[in-house]
Amino acid sequence: MAMPMRRTLLALHRVTCHTMKNAEASLDVRRPLPMVVPVRTKKRYFIPAPPGVKGKNVENPEAKAKAAGLTFRQEYAERPINIACSVGIFDPYIPPEGDARLSTLSKEGLKQRSEQIRQSAASKLAIRKIKEYDSEFTTKQFPEFAQDIFVGAHSALTQFNKEKLHSLVTERCYPEMTRGNRYKTIRWRFVESLEPPRVVHARCTDMVTKGNLYGQVTLRMHSRQTLAVYDRFGRLMLGSEEEPKDVLEYLVFERHIVNPYGRWRLHGKIIPAWSPPKDAIIKTVMIPGPELKPGQEFDALNYQVPKPAAVQWNQ
Amino acid sequence: MATAMTGRGIPFLRTLTGQLHSRLLAVGGGAQPSSCFHASASLESKNWDKRNLKLYPPQLPDEPRRPAEIHHCRRQIKYSKDKMWYLAKMIRGMSIDQAIAQLEFNDKKGAKIMKEVLLEAQEMAVRNHNVEYKSNLYVAESFSGKGKYIKQIRYHGKGMFGIMDKVNCHYFVKLVEGTPPKPEEKTSLDQAKEYVQSLKNRTIIHSL
Repeated sequence: MAMPMRRTLLALHRVTCHTMKNAEASLDVRRPLPMVVPVRTKKRYFIPAPPGVKGKNVENPEAKAKAAGLTFRQEYAERPINIACSVGIFDPYIPPEGDARLSTLSKEGLKQRSEQIRQSAASKLAIRKIKEYDSEFTTKQFPEFAQDIFVGAHSALTQFNKEKLHSLVTERCYPEMTRGNRYKTIRWRFVESLEPPRVVHARCTDMVTKGNLYGQVTLRMHSRQTLAVYDRFGRLMLGSEEEPKDVLEYLVFERHIVNPYGRWRLHGKIIPAWSPPKDAIIKTVMIPGPELKPGQEFDALNYQVPKPAAVQWNQ
Repeated sequence: MATAMTGRGIPFLRTLTGQLHSRLLAVGGGAQPSSCFHASASLESKNWDKRNLKLYPPQLPDEPRRPAEIHHCRRQIKYSKDKMWYLAKMIRGMSIDQAIAQLEFNDKKGAKIMKEVLLEAQEMAVRNHNVEYKSNLYVAESFSGKGKYIKQIRYHGKGMFGIMDKVNCHYFVKLVEGTPPKPEEKTSLDQAKEYVQSLKNRTIIHSL
């Protein structure tokens, strides 16, 4: 294979020289560059390093790079902070016990009533402050508007429309709503509202600097909804599509009041301590058993599964 | 065939190849760019992991329950793919408990790694993929593939050398929910009957 290549190369060279001479003779042309023909060699898999390089370590790779002309942008050790929403729920509303049923005049009920009266004064102040900045806010119109936001947010969650969801739900609430739901199908339907929603609580606080106001309004909503969650393979995990359930919810909406482009968005939910336990999932789950000493046997008959403490959950 | 080619002459061949080439270009590049061309997987694409992200639509209540499938893999295991294949072939079709038990008492190096992979996959299945019982899984697919090799020189006598490959392999496993399917057992009588039937089915086509 090398012989015919050499012959053709020689032929090429002769031809080019000939043509070049002719061209030069006829016209006054400047000499062209000599033709370089790449010759294929056998691929070397390992080329040993030249002697003398082994021991040397590069002294200053940064200085060398700078000298060569490569510059890196300054690296900032920063973390982004979101200022469009606050972290939690300020002074969470404690829903009175028996809110869904007729009010009971127990000792705890009276205590909660007194707390409620104290809270309502602060709420009125907060509402007044909100009305300073946002002239359109009224306690009469806001519940309907908030319910629309709630319904819109949950329907966006079923379609998983990220942009719409971000506009209707704060950044704090978004991961709580969508965690683990990316590879699941959620079917949610708002059937009807059993009682007209009403504002029960409002707070207006400043974060970091004075004047940076965030307003949070709690809404009490009693409605009928259907929820069905299907896992990745289309199997029903939770709930059912036909059976509607009555739901009493305390939703918290937040807005960055000082910001002229701020909007009322769903910020979280308050689950009271006395709420009935949620429906079980359609699956058997293993729970960790008690810690046994070596030699101790596990008594399955007399063992009682520890129930979680009934505490109010602000989410 | 050679005589036929030379008889017509070389210009005919050239026109043929030219036509084919132009046709390929027209069809391939024009309407559907991906149908005629073989698209090979690039170095960064990890298709096995992407199979875990497939979302199925919700099932109707009268449909049979779809079994859950969990794909798991481990990349760049320091072991030979041919040696790994023996273990992978061994656990194909076994239930997960049986597979883990067999690998635990196997003396090969790959068995320990494979057992870790299976336990990881089982854990993933229960936690992320809504599998109810962790023992209700079986190994549907299990195979090994070639990883990236590192080449080194192995020195021989008389100035000769060989290129030594430091082998790595990938191991892929697919767990499916349910009891393992029973392999079909055919008796010798059945096989004989089938053979006789195939002989009887012989016929001459396009005949009178």
